[in-house]
Amino acid sequence: MSRTDFVALLPLMIVPATAVILMIAIAIRRNHKAVAVISLGGLVAAFGSLAFAASVLPRQVSAFFILDSYSFLYMAILLCAAAFVFLLAYDYLNRRQKHPEEFYLLVLLATTGAMVLVASRNFAAFFLGLELLSVALYALIAYVRAESISIEAGIKYLVLAASSSSVLLFGMALIYAESGSMELSQFTAAMIHSTGHANPFLVVTGLMLVLTGAGFKLAVVPFHLWTPDVYEGAPLPVTAFIASVSKGGMFALLLRWFHVNSGDITGVPGLVLSILAIASMLTGNLLALRQTNVKRILAYSSIAHMGYLLVALLAGGALGAPAATYYLTAYMVTILGAFGVMTALSGRQHEAMSLDSYRGLFWRRPLLAAAFTTMLFSLAGIPFTAGFLGKFYVLMAGASASRWVLLFTLIVSSTIGLFYYLRIVVVMYAQPEGAGETENPDDTRTLPVPLPATLALAALTGLVFLLGVYPILFWDTMVAVTRNLG
Amino acid sequence: MLQLLWLVVAIPVASATLLALFGSNLSRRVVAVLGAGSVGVAALITLLIGAVFLASPPMGNVYVQHLWTWMSSGGFTPEIAFYLDPVSLLMLLVVTFVGFLIHLYSVEYMHDDEGYARFFAYMNLFVASMITLVLANNLLLLYLGWEGVGLCSFLLIGFWYRDPQNVRAAAKAFIVTRFGDTAFAVGLLLLFTRLGTLDIQDAMHRAAMQWSTGSSIATAAAALLLGGAVAKSAQLPLQTWLPDAMAGPTPTSALIHAATMVTAGVYLIARTHVLFTLAPSIQFLVAIIGTVTMLLAAFSALAQRDMKRVLAYSTISQIGYMFLALGLGAWSAAMFHFMTHAFFKALLFLAAGVVIHAVHEQDLYRMGGLRKELRLAFWAFVIGGSALAGLPLITAGFFSKDLILWQSWAGPNGNAWFWAAGMTGALLTSLYTFRMILLAFYGPQQLHVRAKSGLAVRVSLVVLCSLSLVGGYVDTPPHFGGTPALSNFLNSVLPPLEEVHIGPITETMTVLSASTVFALGLWLAYLIFGPKRSRQPAQNLLEQLWLAGWGFDWLYDKLLVRPFQWIARKSAADPVDVPINGLAQVTVLGYRALRLTQTGQVRWYAAGLALGTAAILAIAFVAR
Repeated sequence: MSRTDFVALLPLMIVPATAVILMIAIAIRRNHKAVAVISLGGLVAAFGSLAFAASVLPRQVSAFFILDSYSFLYMAILLCAAAFVFLLAYDYLNRRQKHPEEFYLLVLLATTGAMVLVASRNFAAFFLGLELLSVALYALIAYVRAESISIEAGIKYLVLAASSSSVLLFGMALIYAESGSMELSQFTAAMIHSTGHANPFLVVTGLMLVLTGAGFKLAVVPFHLWTPDVYEGAPLPVTAFIASVSKGGMFALLLRWFHVNSGDITGVPGLVLSILAIASMLTGNLLALRQTNVKRILAYSSIAHMGYLLVALLAGGALGAPAATYYLTAYMVTILGAFGVMTALSGRQHEAMSLDSYRGLFWRRPLLAAAFTTMLFSLAGIPFTAGFLGKFYVLMAGASASRWVLLFTLIVSSTIGLFYYLRIVVVMYAQPEGAGETENPDDTRTLPVPLPATLALAALTGLVFLLGVYPILFWDTMVAVTRNLG
Repeated sequence: MLQLLWLVVAIPVASATLLALFGSNLSRRVVAVLGAGSVGVAALITLLIGAVFLASPPMGNVYVQHLWTWMSSGGFTPEIAFYLDPVSLLMLLVVTFVGFLIHLYSVEYMHDDEGYARFFAYMNLFVASMITLVLANNLLLLYLGWEGVGLCSFLLIGFWYRDPQNVRAAAKAFIVTRFGDTAFAVGLLLLFTRLGTLDIQDAMHRAAMQWSTGSSIATAAAALLLGGAVAKSAQLPLQTWLPDAMAGPTPTSALIHAATMVTAGVYLIARTHVLFTLAPSIQFLVAIIGTVTMLLAAFSALAQRDMKRVLAYSTISQIGYMFLALGLGAWSAAMFHFMTHAFFKALLFLAAGVVIHAVHEQDLYRMGGLRKELRLAFWAFVIGGSALAGLPLITAGFFSKDLILWQSWAGPNGNAWFWAAGMTGALLTSLYTFRMILLAFYGPQQLHVRAKSGLAVRVSLVVLCSLSLVGGYVDTPPHFGGTPALSNFLNSVLPPLEEVHIGPITETMTVLSASTVFALGLWLAYLIFGPKRSRQPAQNLLEQLWLAGWGFDWLYDKLLVRPFQWIARKSAADPVDVPINGLAQVTVLGYRALRLTQTGQVRWYAAGLALGTAAILAIAFVAR
């Protein structure tokens, strides 16, 4: 490995190195604040190293990694998302967990996994990244051991993720058996020659099995069943992490190797992906319709949002990849903000999950309610928010590829989605019930929002608006970065 | 220096956001500094920009600041860009400057209100929306400002929302202007689809190139824009919201009447004057609407008992003058009158606020004799009222009104009828203005004065007094050795009317007759409402009709509101709802069915995973 390779890999090494430092630090002495500072420092250092290493791009390091502006852009997004998770988690953990230190360790490892996914260029790196991410998540989901619901969610995720990984592995084996190559670029080739007859039988089968594995991580229909239970059971910061970093890393990989630059995805993979997209958009929004648990609502809504992302992926061409990237960024910012508000509202004993705990929130906590409203509007796609422009770009990409069925489904299902997002907003602005309520010492309505969470929420709200009114700032970069894909 | 233009919008927006988010936690002093200071800084920057603009005019007398493109799809490329030319500069100066004085006044006037921060948040947003409207270089941004102004007027008219009466007035203003907004939006879409550009200047150029004079498309577009202008500027037939808009705090009224909102329609027509030149019939309609509104509103002002309602009808009437000028093609005369009107109408409203604050009474017939104790308010009323009525040579209102009257007589589109109507209007203006002053400040004093005004109020009144006096000297008639500086300045954007040569005798006669009309009004007012007369309001039928604003509310209630409510009631359960409700029920059924799949059991979830995999494999092989 040459010195340049080393430089190019710096971001991928700093994050796990920070994890190692944390292990040692925790073994010496437990100190939550120090651990949090070290972890954030590691993320900042990794982020800085992106700028430093950008000069040696693009570069392939061994058979495993491809480091170019695309993977660096996604690494930057993932690192920022992880940093937001830390900021939001700090006080949550202080309040609820006796030993919060390992949380940071596990999140750093999972982030490493997601970053490996983004930069991988063969099956081995793909699988290693995926497992690194998944194994850390098993522990993270069950992190609050006192809660049986947490343990249950962790075990469910373990069983199902392990099954889906084995399916994925089998798919890889089939493709390798046929082609004798471990390169992920075979996906791209298979997508471009996507009429079934051009692809050998084993490659198509393998491709479908790989889609199962990827679809499980993204939680698209029909691999979505775990989502609400795991979202509900996992501690809120972990839920935010699953929704942003875990899905973001997986989707970045899918986008890089399945995207077709010369046009939209057709043929067998196109058909299957379209069915997954349509089913996800409709199912996700329908399932969220009458839910009264906000965590589950956001879980179902995430299924729908992954469906919207698949539309951009299917649209392909010059617009599809930047549209998907924009949408994913907007979604990550928004969902981190939404779970961030919920985290800030969660007390020592209970998380603020039920819709009832948001009744009249505006009258008690106007700023938090305003931030949550912004996030819900963005998820629903109201103008001047990030979600609106994300959806606009996806629609534009879809229209330029003439995928009308997909676009029609997108519009119809977004309309259904409007109902449950606005329902939360209505509940927040409803007059609170009479003054006869008993005062609870653990009452979340008086809980102060601590500084780290305040900073994170302010930044996320600002980003939602910035993405909503000043898109050029991001769009041009995304177009440039995705130009050479597929 | 011109690059600072964006700050004029950004600063009030930022301050409004801060006040909205953190207002309740800030001390009153901080709120005042933020609320009034932000508009003050915007005014200073505008002054600076104006000075630079005058000293070294940019190329073509136009400065465009492109910030960024919001999104881009086909020809639909709404830019965030500001367009500064003499017209928008004049508007900007008036909006920020008069706006600042009103804010300064409010610092003291609203001091004891519990919604102090909320008030300034709304006011700042109001000013920011108006500035956006004025500076917008494209139709979408203009529309954003337009709707922002509508929203803020709703919020401010209903500011004291605990009284349902106020909320009703706010809703009325919002709903009535909505008619115009809809017409305006349709007009914008028409322009965009037919001309293929959102840029206002581009659109005007293309319209002039592609559409012939009097063509139906130009007429339709101009008529739709006029619909929007009529509603926002409270002209016939959508004027009914303005008198009720008095429900808001007095500074709000000053802002709505002087600096923002009602002048938006005048600005819109001046901005798109090319379109109106292409549609002579609509332009003539503008003049007719202006004339009729001006007269009707002036009669109504004559019978009002509430001081603020007199001023409200007077605003409608004065905007009528501006519409008349627009209809005659005397674009710069309309802008000139807009400017002087902003000065003296803001002054009158703020002075009315002082009176109302001092005696807690708005009924003119219960006031009287206040001139001794409220000296400043009295002089403000005298100066503002003289400017409104057009006291010759020393008030601002005289010059601008005289220019309009002169154009209605001698301009290429003028005729004797317009002139006669304008003269009648001037007589009525003088009459109702001095009626108000005589009733409030002369005669026996009936009310105890409870509050004196402080520094902020006095400063803003004095500044507005001087502006009402000297504001007219920027544009004096050339025939008397004056220089029409403002008209010349605006000429690069708003084409001047062709010069009509009339001898100095006729010219002198018109000025003299205008002066005569002023004096006649004053004399009549003294005869009828003077201190020695009985102070009982007359109760004859005609005055009842005027008091009720010619019964438009009654008419609309019978003609529109009740039938609409009847239809709404009757169609509450009509078959149209069935498919819509059916759709909702289908989605709920879908929810119920899908919910069954969420059993919470891992074995079922794993089975789902396997079945899903099998399904996509099957699809793949079938489709192969």
